[in-house]
Amino acid sequence: MASEITAKEKPGENPILWVARPMATAARQFGKSLFRPSTIIYPYERLEDPKFREKVAVAPGKPIGVGQVWDNYRGVHALNISTCISCNLCAFSCPDLCIEMVTVPGGDPKHPKKCPQIDYGKCSYCGFCSDACPEGCLTMTTRYENSTSKRSEMVFSPQRMLEIYQHKLPMNPIRLARPANEDSILLEPPLCIGCNACARDCPTQCITMLDIPKPEAKPGEKVPKRIWKEPVVNDSDCVRCGTCISVCPKECLFWGTRK
Amino acid sequence: MSTVTLFSVSYDLSTVIARGVASVFPQPIHGWILSSDVVLGFAILFFAIILLAASMINTIMLIWWERKLLGRFMDRRGAMHVGYAGLLQNFADGFKLFRKFTVRPREADSAGFYFGPTAYMATSLIIFGVLPISTGWNGGTLPLTLLLALVIFSFAPLFIFVSAWSSNNKYSLMGGMRSAAQMIAYEVPILLAVVAVVIVAGSFDLTTIVYEQQNYWFWGPLVVALIVFVAGMLAEMERIPFDLPEAEAELVEGWNTEYGGMLFAFFMLADYLRGLVGSFLVVLLFLGGWTLPTWVPSSLTSFPLAGIVIFMVKTYLVFGLFVWVRASLPRVRTDQLLRVGWNRMIPLSLLAIFLAAVLVTVKCLPLFGCVPSPGV
Amino acid sequence: MWINMGPQHPMTHGLWNLRVKIDGETVIDVDPEMGFLHRGIEKISEDRHYNEVITLMDRCCYVAGLAWEHLYILSAEDALHVKPPQRAEYLRVLCDEFQRIGSHIMWYAAFVQDIGLMSPFLYGMRDRDLILDLFQSYTGARLTYEYLRVGGVRSDLPPGFTARAREVLDWLDARFGEYDQLCLGSDIFRKRCDNLGILKASDCVAHGVTGPMLRSAGMKRDLRKDRPYSVYRQLDFDVAVAEGADVTARYLVRMEEMRQSVRILRQVLDWLDQNPGPVLAENLPRWLGAPYAPIGREGYLLKRNYPKGVGFSSVEEPHGEAQAYVVNEGGEHPYRVKFRSPVFANISAARQYLVGYHVADIPPIMGSVDVCVGEVDR
Repeated sequence: MASEITAKEKPGENPILWVARPMATAARQFGKSLFRPSTIIYPYERLEDPKFREKVAVAPGKPIGVGQVWDNYRGVHALNISTCISCNLCAFSCPDLCIEMVTVPGGDPKHPKKCPQIDYGKCSYCGFCSDACPEGCLTMTTRYENSTSKRSEMVFSPQRMLEIYQHKLPMNPIRLARPANEDSILLEPPLCIGCNACARDCPTQCITMLDIPKPEAKPGEKVPKRIWKEPVVNDSDCVRCGTCISVCPKECLFWGTRK
Repeated sequence: MSTVTLFSVSYDLSTVIARGVASVFPQPIHGWILSSDVVLGFAILFFAIILLAASMINTIMLIWWERKLLGRFMDRRGAMHVGYAGLLQNFADGFKLFRKFTVRPREADSAGFYFGPTAYMATSLIIFGVLPISTGWNGGTLPLTLLLALVIFSFAPLFIFVSAWSSNNKYSLMGGMRSAAQMIAYEVPILLAVVAVVIVAGSFDLTTIVYEQQNYWFWGPLVVALIVFVAGMLAEMERIPFDLPEAEAELVEGWNTEYGGMLFAFFMLADYLRGLVGSFLVVLLFLGGWTLPTWVPSSLTSFPLAGIVIFMVKTYLVFGLFVWVRASLPRVRTDQLLRVGWNRMIPLSLLAIFLAAVLVTVKCLPLFGCVPSPGV
Repeated sequence: MWINMGPQHPMTHGLWNLRVKIDGETVIDVDPEMGFLHRGIEKISEDRHYNEVITLMDRCCYVAGLAWEHLYILSAEDALHVKPPQRAEYLRVLCDEFQRIGSHIMWYAAFVQDIGLMSPFLYGMRDRDLILDLFQSYTGARLTYEYLRVGGVRSDLPPGFTARAREVLDWLDARFGEYDQLCLGSDIFRKRCDNLGILKASDCVAHGVTGPMLRSAGMKRDLRKDRPYSVYRQLDFDVAVAEGADVTARYLVRMEEMRQSVRILRQVLDWLDQNPGPVLAENLPRWLGAPYAPIGREGYLLKRNYPKGVGFSSVEEPHGEAQAYVVNEGGEHPYRVKFRSPVFANISAARQYLVGYHVADIPPIMGSVDVCVGEVDR
């Protein structure tokens, strides 16, 4: 059914032909690859170099890697420390828990600036972190070689990833399309004590504490003791990192659709 | 042809060194060193060393040749890194194996475990002593060199079986059994095919057989014998499609599963030594040895050591044929192999003998465009 | 004599053990042992967000990662009541069918290596590399793609992709004939493979054997036709069937399937050229768009009542029929994930198709089963 060879012929009818056919096919391949094999000598010749890419041309016509093969590759990360807002989203989204937020110099002493440090011994290069990064400062480059003789060298500090960033390697341009209506940070007002923790730790400063009127004391009830302020989230600036939720002492912030 | 022979080279070398050494010593020792017996003894030693070195280097180059050819068959390059185009890669590999620790399984039989590969290697090397490479470039002028070569060649299954059995491994044992069965089965058609050559050439001496081919090569008239001989040689050399003793897919590495380091290198080298011997024999018996067809102008072949060069080129081309077969055919099964051996190869080789006898008696060799030499 | 073919053995193509009882060179009993590669993927999935499980799916089967991603995604979308856009469905079929060709080429390469044919191994790897290049150009990786998402796919195709893909398809179409020349056209190959490892259709059904092995027994069963998922209903293709139930028949089925995949892919590429659109569903909850949870504070997210549900899917994976079952109890993570691996059933039936043949027949027969241990043990 599939091929012309099988349907009619039975093996053993014409032994010479049946041995000669595969040998002829191999010889044809030999003739083709005698002057132009499909391989390159890897450490010296590299596919990302167009010169060698055209040399190996497996398919007739165009060489391998037309289009955006190389730019889209998910390799070692590059980090632009100056635009990083320390939102933790990369660390949260990492399935392998290989990202740790470490302090980098440059923040104010009360709220030190934290940037991701990646342990490539655990990393699976899935790209969730760069997809999650709201500022586009953590990106994946086309650098695919990452081998060391020591495990400790597999841990890339933010500074080391900054160096990779400064090499200006092609960055992976693919970014996950953001959903049109994302969940927002909502507040359960009765629980809030107005402590300012969310606004203090918000990496984008999109939370402002607004004054709310202090209610009149009803007879027989005490006015709760709290700061009469409530957080208001600016949804257009919010990157949905959830830092406010995780720092809220009263667990009064949650995800939801804003009415 | 040049008059330089392998023995004259080693004798000259021995004489030069003996003179140099003797000049250091006072008279009685001086005279003894220069005496013909001592010089002759050292000449034989150098003779052996040259043979050994030449065969080993050729074997290693044969591995390189196979790797490169196989690479091109597979649309890749083969070894590229050590030396120009990977020429020295196999020396590096051999050196690595040489440095490695030889592990012997605790339950393995020590004597057989070490004796097997050593004897396998040794017998494979001995064959080179009797194979002529060019005029005068051979070990001795025995009347039965062909027979002697084939006898030594057929020792191998014994040593393989010894080493396989003493490895105390099930895969090794099965591989050894298969190897012994296969080699014994294919000895017979090979010898019968050789008989066809001997009938036409009229001699068991390889040098004579080559001289008989000065006017016409035997592959034309004896094509049936050639096919049987090449197929049998593939089986004897345990190469694809007949490499079931070390069938990688089911038997791991067959009879050399338990071997590592230098002992494995012995097996590997001996396999390729036998490959070299097989190619030598095909060239000697069927492709005119170190001679070229008469229509090739002799001015082209008058450079020094032309015979050796022609012979080696032919050998490597014949081995290239084996590589080609390896690149394009799968492995057969044991029962199929033995059935082909006993049911097809032996009748074919008997047919080859019959045809050779007819050719000689009817004197129809000139039909192949060749002038029979006076011997026929 | 019992011999252990495995866990480290050239025949196994992975980490499993085939215990074989032999009498001379004849196999009289076999006992497949699995579980050496168990990584607890089903259990780990219960501790991960729905999208994070995708990274595990690529590790299930290392030659058909995208097919397993598709399997899981269908089930997860079923459980989460998410519907992907049409273009994403076509992109998934594009992944599936390229993956099928890649997987079958990989099978071909390993299979011919098993019977000692050396050069087609490299030809197969070379041709598969073209498909990997295509995958790299739009998923960003060559083996672990992480491309599908709940509600769609990660990104759209790069410009110029479809033209290049058509070139690759033309090239592959020409190569299949070459493969046949080297295998079907070879006397030794046919002598090795004809009438070998016969597993009749009734035995296949009795032992849950699916995929090319079932179709090689003459049974026309293909989930893409019988229970069409994704957009297979809109695509025109035939189910590859062969008679004989032997190794040659399985070879024929896989070769024909590759040709049919090329046919499907041409239609898919035409559709993708004409119908631009979004590739990720609108109205996705944020936590599906990019998974996250403050470590140790996942409890807060459970405050929301996500819709509960149970998802089931079955797809025609290159090795057979794979099934997935996802239970969504309303939390961030799936409550339970269960997979059915086709290869597990296929090699569990080894006694039915190995006993009575020679030791030398084991590699071709097991090769024709197309073992992928990553999905067997999960």
